[in-house]
Amino acid sequence: MHIRQLSAFATCGVLALMIMSALPSGAGRRFFDDDPIVREPETQDASKVQEWEIDLFIDLATNLFRRPSDPAPDDAARNVNTIDEVPDSSWFTNRILARPLSTAELVRGPLNGSGPAPGVWTVIAQKSAGFAPGFTVRDAQGEMWFVSFDAAGHPEAATGAIVVANRIFWALGYWQVENYLVTVNPDEVVIGPSSTFTPLSGKKRPMKRRDLDDVFRRAHRTASGYRAVAARAVPGRPIGGFRYDGTRPDDPNDLVPHEDRRELRALKVFGAWTNLVDMKAGNTLDTVIPSEGGRSIVRHYLQDVGSTFGTGANGPREYDEGWEYLFDGKMARKRLARLGFFIQPWQTVQYVENPAIGRFEGQEFEPAGWKPRVPTPAILRARSDDTFWAARRVAAFTDEMIRAVVKVGTYSDPAAEALLGDVLIQRRDKIAAHYLAAINPLVDFALTPAGRLTFGNAAVDRGRATPPAGGYRGTWYRFDNATAESVEIGAATTSTVAELQAPGPLLRTPGTFVRIDVSAVEPAPAPWTVPVKVYFRSTDTGWTLAGVERLPREK
Amino acid sequence: MGPGIADRSGVTTPVRSLVVACASAAIIAVAVNAGAQESRAETIAAEQAEKATRLSPHVPGRSEALLLKAQKILLEQPDGIYPYFGSVYSGGGFTLGAGYRRFTGDRTNWNVAGMYSIKNYKLLEGGITSPGHASGKVGVRAIAGWRDATQVPYYGLGIDTAKSALATFHMQQSFTGGDVTFRPLKRIKILAGATYEDYTIKSAPGDLVSIEDVYTPSTAPGLGENPAYIHTTISAGYDWRPGADYARRGGLYEVALHRYSDRADTLSFDRLDAQVVQHLPILRENWIVSLRGQLQTTLDDADQVPYFLMPALGSGSTLRAYSSWRFRDRHSLLFSGEWRWIPNRLGVDMAFFYDAGMVANQLEGLSVGDLITDFGVGIRFHTPAATPLRIEVAKGREGLHLVFGGSAAF
Repeated sequence: MHIRQLSAFATCGVLALMIMSALPSGAGRRFFDDDPIVREPETQDASKVQEWEIDLFIDLATNLFRRPSDPAPDDAARNVNTIDEVPDSSWFTNRILARPLSTAELVRGPLNGSGPAPGVWTVIAQKSAGFAPGFTVRDAQGEMWFVSFDAAGHPEAATGAIVVANRIFWALGYWQVENYLVTVNPDEVVIGPSSTFTPLSGKKRPMKRRDLDDVFRRAHRTASGYRAVAARAVPGRPIGGFRYDGTRPDDPNDLVPHEDRRELRALKVFGAWTNLVDMKAGNTLDTVIPSEGGRSIVRHYLQDVGSTFGTGANGPREYDEGWEYLFDGKMARKRLARLGFFIQPWQTVQYVENPAIGRFEGQEFEPAGWKPRVPTPAILRARSDDTFWAARRVAAFTDEMIRAVVKVGTYSDPAAEALLGDVLIQRRDKIAAHYLAAINPLVDFALTPAGRLTFGNAAVDRGRATPPAGGYRGTWYRFDNATAESVEIGAATTSTVAELQAPGPLLRTPGTFVRIDVSAVEPAPAPWTVPVKVYFRSTDTGWTLAGVERLPREK
Repeated sequence: MGPGIADRSGVTTPVRSLVVACASAAIIAVAVNAGAQESRAETIAAEQAEKATRLSPHVPGRSEALLLKAQKILLEQPDGIYPYFGSVYSGGGFTLGAGYRRFTGDRTNWNVAGMYSIKNYKLLEGGITSPGHASGKVGVRAIAGWRDATQVPYYGLGIDTAKSALATFHMQQSFTGGDVTFRPLKRIKILAGATYEDYTIKSAPGDLVSIEDVYTPSTAPGLGENPAYIHTTISAGYDWRPGADYARRGGLYEVALHRYSDRADTLSFDRLDAQVVQHLPILRENWIVSLRGQLQTTLDDADQVPYFLMPALGSGSTLRAYSSWRFRDRHSLLFSGEWRWIPNRLGVDMAFFYDAGMVANQLEGLSVGDLITDFGVGIRFHTPAATPLRIEVAKGREGLHLVFGGSAAF
C-alpha cells in the first residue's frame, strides 16, 4: 500500500472517531433521557418458552453444595434503575413505600373476587406438590382452584400462614396467587369424570372416593368442616418455577441473572422478617401471559409463601429452621470436632409455642443471622444497598397494618393472632434497626431551583437511629453526562439538619447535571460517612432526580 | 501524480484524499452510531432482541442429568430394576444386590431380588407386598427365598468361649411364608406371621475348620441335623420413633413370640424376644442419649435349640467389638448406650457407644455382673428416615473391630 493511501486511511480513522465522539451517542452516557425508568421493558415475544420442571433434589443440592455463580460477589443488583429502585416488571410491582398503601388494600392483597362459587366442587386432579393434604377442583361455575388443608392435629397453622404471608408478600411487591380461606364440606365435593390419581405404583388411574377420603383423613377437621386455602389458578400457561440464579435460556426478556435481581436478593430481609425458610424453585411459578401487541411475556410468581412463621405443612418447624442451613460445612466441622459443645442460639431460645403459629419469635431473632433451609444465590449476593432497600419496605408496615394483616389468618385463638402480630412487629423493628443503619441511609432527595437539597434519613425517620451529631455535608459537582466527569463547584456545604444549600448559583440549562455527594459528619455511624452520590438533571421546571448511587456498582 | 499537482477537478491529490477520508469517516461514524440507543428502554430492548436470536430451552448438563437418573433409580422409580442394599446373613461382609419390582395395584407389588457378598454369601428372594389396606391399618406380605451362607462361625456355647475355638459351617436355608401387620393406631404395631424354613447344614468350605471336626451334639446342639420348621411369630410393639432406621427421639417397646415347630418334632422350641429402645434428646437434639435393652430367651428348658438358631451376640448391631455370632446360647441379654451428637441434622451423626451383653444356658445365668462389654465411636450417614452407612470402631477384650453397617445400630 502506498504511503499516501496509508496516511489517508489513518486520517479517515481519526476523523471517524472524532465525528463519532461529536455525534450524540447513547453509548457513553451515564443517564438517558428516560432515566430513571419506572417499568422494565419486555419487548420480545416469549410465547415459545417451554415448560421446565426444576427438580427439587437438583435445586436443593445445587444451592447447598455447589453454590452457583460468583462465590465472593459484591456487585450491585442489575435490575435497579438509576435512582437505585426496582422498576415494575413481570417480577415485581412497587406497592408499599412506593405509594400510599391503605390497610384495606393490604388486607385484600391480590384478591380480585370473592373466592370459589358456592355449591358443589368437582375434583379434577390430586395435589401434585407439597406435603399438605389437598386437591385441585372446579367450583360450581367451572373455575379452577388449588385447595390445601391444615394437616390433622395442626388446626389453622398452614392455612393461616398461607393467607397472612400471601398478603404481606403481595404488599412487598411480588406476584401472588389469590388465596381464599374456605371451609370444605366433604359432602359437597365430587370426583370429576376425568380426574386421575397416581398412587404409589406410579400408574395413573381414575380417582376414586377412597382417594378423596384419604385426603380428608390427613386433613384437620373442625366442627364446621375442613378449613382450607383455595388458590385461584393463575392466568396464563404454567411453565414451571424459576431458579434463583442464571436466566431462563428460552425467555428473550429474561436478561438479568436472577441472583442479580434486587427483589430476589431482598428475600434475605423479607424472608428473615416472615421466616420464609423454604425458598426452593418449587415454590415459585412462571406463567406465559398475553401482553401488548399480541406478544406474550413470562410472569414470575412467588407462588407458595406458606412456609413462613413457625409452622410447616405438617406441624411446627424444626428448632434450627431460620437459624441454620440444612447443611453448613463449617458448622458441621465445628460440631463434629467439639463433640457437639458448640451451642447456638436456636438451642436455647424460648418460644411461646402456639399450635397455630408454631415456633416463631422475635426476642432472640438476629436479622443478619437468619438463614433459610437452603441458601439461594440471590440472597447470598445481597449487598447492604439491597438489604437497605428491602428493610425500608419492611419498616413501612405500621403496627396497625401488621395487626390488620394478621387478622386475615382468622385464628380462632386470640392469643395466636396477638402472638403473630407481636413477633412480626418485633422482627420488623430489629430489621429496621439493623439494616437501615448499616449503610448511608439518606433517601428522598429533592433539589429546588434555588439550590436547596432536601433529603430524609431512613434510619432516623423510622426512629431506629439518632440524627448524626455532626450534621450532614454535601460536596457539589457539575457533572458531564457524556464523559461522566465531575468538576467540583465551590466548597462543600454542611448543615445540622437534613438539607443542604448549594455553595453558589447552579448553572441551569436544560440537560445539565449536578452531582452532590452527601454524607453524615462525624461523630456519626461509620457507614453514614460514606457519601451517597446523588445526580440531578436540569429541566424546564427545575431539577429532577436522575441518579442515586449508595454504593459503587462493582467491587 | 506528484504532491501538490492539480488534477482536472482542480483539487490537489492530497486534498482529494482528505476529502475522501472525511466522507468515509462520516459514513462510518454515522453507521456505527446508528446502532446506539437513545434511551434506556431502547438499550434494554436491543439486548432482548439480541437474546431472541439465540434462544434455546434448558438442557440439563452432564452432572445434572446423571443426578436425575440416579434419583429416578434410587428414589422414584416404582417399577423396574433397583439397587438392593442389605445383608445376606450376618457376617457375610460387603454385599451388593439388585432387585426387580412390579406393581400390580395401587400399592401391591411383587418383587424379586438377589444379593451377593464378598464371602460368597448369596440370597435370592421373591415376594408380594401389599400395604395400606383398611385405611392404611393392614399390610400383607408373602415371601419365598433361598439363602446360602457359606462360612458361618461357631465358637461354642456360652460367654467364656475362646476365639481360638472357631469352627465354621455352611448353612443353606430355603423359606416361604408371609405375615400380616395390623396398626390399630399409628404407633401400635401388631404382627402375625408364619414361615416354612428348611435348613441344610454342610461342612465348611476349603481349609476352614469345619464344625463337625471340633464339636459334638453336646457342645453344638442339633449338630448333624437338617431341620425344617414352621416358624410362627406374633409380636406387638409401641413405636413412637419418627423412623425405624433413624431416630433422634421417641422409643420402641416390643415383644415377639417365636415358635419353631420342627417337622420331625425333635428340635422344636419357643423363644421370646423383648426389646426396649429409647432416644432421649438433649438441648433440642444437640445430643441424644440412645438406650437399648434386649432379651432373647428360650422359653422351655426342655426344648432343644439347634446351635445355628440360638440367640447370639456379636456383630455390628449387638456387641460391636466382636465378630458375628461370637457368643451363642439359649438366652441372651444385651444393653447398649450411645451418646450421640449431631454435626449436621441433614445427614451426619456421631456417637460414642458402649455395649454390654451376655449369653447363658439358663435364664438365671444372665447376670448383669458378668457382662461382656465394648465401647467405641462411630459416624453415621443418614437420611431423615434411614441410615444407609454406619462406620464404627469398637474396642473389646478381643481387640479393635471395624464395623460397616447399612442400618442403624438400634
